[in-house]
Amino acid sequence: MKTRYIHISAILITLAGFTLITFLYWTEPKSLAEVSTKGSVAIGTYTVDQAAFDQGLASFRKDQFLDARVDFNRADPEKRDAATQFYIAYSYYRQGWGRLSSDDTLFEPGLEAANLVMTIDPNYRSSDSTLTMKTPAELKNELEEGLKITPSDFNPMKLTRERK
Amino acid sequence: MNREVEVIDVEPDGEIVAENHTRERALSVPEQSGAAASDQRTVLTYVVLPFAFLAVTLLGGLRLASADNAFIFIKPALICLVFASVLMLILVRSRLIEIGGWFCEEFSTLKNAANGAVLLTLFAASAQLFNSLLPEKGLPFWVVGFCFTWTLWNDLCAEFDAKRLLRSLGALFAMAFVTKYLVLANLTAPDSSGWLKRIFDNPAKEAFTWLLDLPQYSAGTGYIQFFAAIIYLLGLYLTPRTTQK
Repeated sequence: MKTRYIHISAILITLAGFTLITFLYWTEPKSLAEVSTKGSVAIGTYTVDQAAFDQGLASFRKDQFLDARVDFNRADPEKRDAATQFYIAYSYYRQGWGRLSSDDTLFEPGLEAANLVMTIDPNYRSSDSTLTMKTPAELKNELEEGLKITPSDFNPMKLTRERK
Repeated sequence: MNREVEVIDVEPDGEIVAENHTRERALSVPEQSGAAASDQRTVLTYVVLPFAFLAVTLLGGLRLASADNAFIFIKPALICLVFASVLMLILVRSRLIEIGGWFCEEFSTLKNAANGAVLLTLFAASAQLFNSLLPEKGLPFWVVGFCFTWTLWNDLCAEFDAKRLLRSLGALFAMAFVTKYLVLANLTAPDSSGWLKRIFDNPAKEAFTWLLDLPQYSAGTGYIQFFAAIIYLLGLYLTPRTTQK
């Protein structure tokens, strides 16, 4: 083998090795499966697992929100898809909503998810006709209102309101 | 290569006898074995060593979480880079690495670049080995860090030859490994149950974990770091003093 090629290979091995190591220490994957997911994000081939998303959507429509979130998280493990994150935020809202009071422990992560959607895609608008709130801003407003205690919370007319 | 050479033989009676011999085999075998050895050295220096040092660089900061064996990648602290720089100086001072034999005007730019790449991997591996052997935080970090500083400072001023330096480094790293992955790891309480149960089960370990601020890793971490240290020392042993032929 020509020495010249061996020298070139040394440089290439070093470059490739440092690229891989920097990538791993930067992204900090927790398992070998995550390495491939984060790798696909890095090279721009990351896509949502459509089958898991569809399962999540089916559970969401049956009001099985815990199952729905498990499937949505499986579909979008890197939390990069606005639609999936919107459904996650919506599932927290629907699960935590109550006619008398809302569940803060569910509304808080819901608010985080709604903020995440706005970060991923500020102009996101859902095309799902079964949802009353179409944008993360509306959802965020509803979740924030649920977390606050205001005089309107004691209005007896609240009992007549419906879940969105 | 078919070369004819004239062999001149002097007989005991003083008569000079000249013969033509075809010495193809006799000449080519040592040439070929010399070339093969040179090829092997080149492959070792430019392929095996970068691989070994990159493996150490990768594994040096890798820990496994106590609960679920998930990967935890720990970036090296600044002090690890300082230690690695001092170690490189020591390697040069002890002539384990001869700078003139790695970077030279007579070499082609490509060879100088390749040599630089190999030494860069050595530096990165050294930093990561210190990252591996230095406790992450708390009192043990300061104590072991002080011991490293003391030893490296002494080594920097001492007169070493390459063999003694390798022995000294082997002993230093072995001691640090035993301290972190055997002594301190055995003082760390497992992170498997509630804190109240842990206190009742292992009060002493729980106290040490709390007092020394010891991180809880899976047992597999020690095995990974053991191989990282071995690969590093082996790589250092195989590193040639010079790349000049």
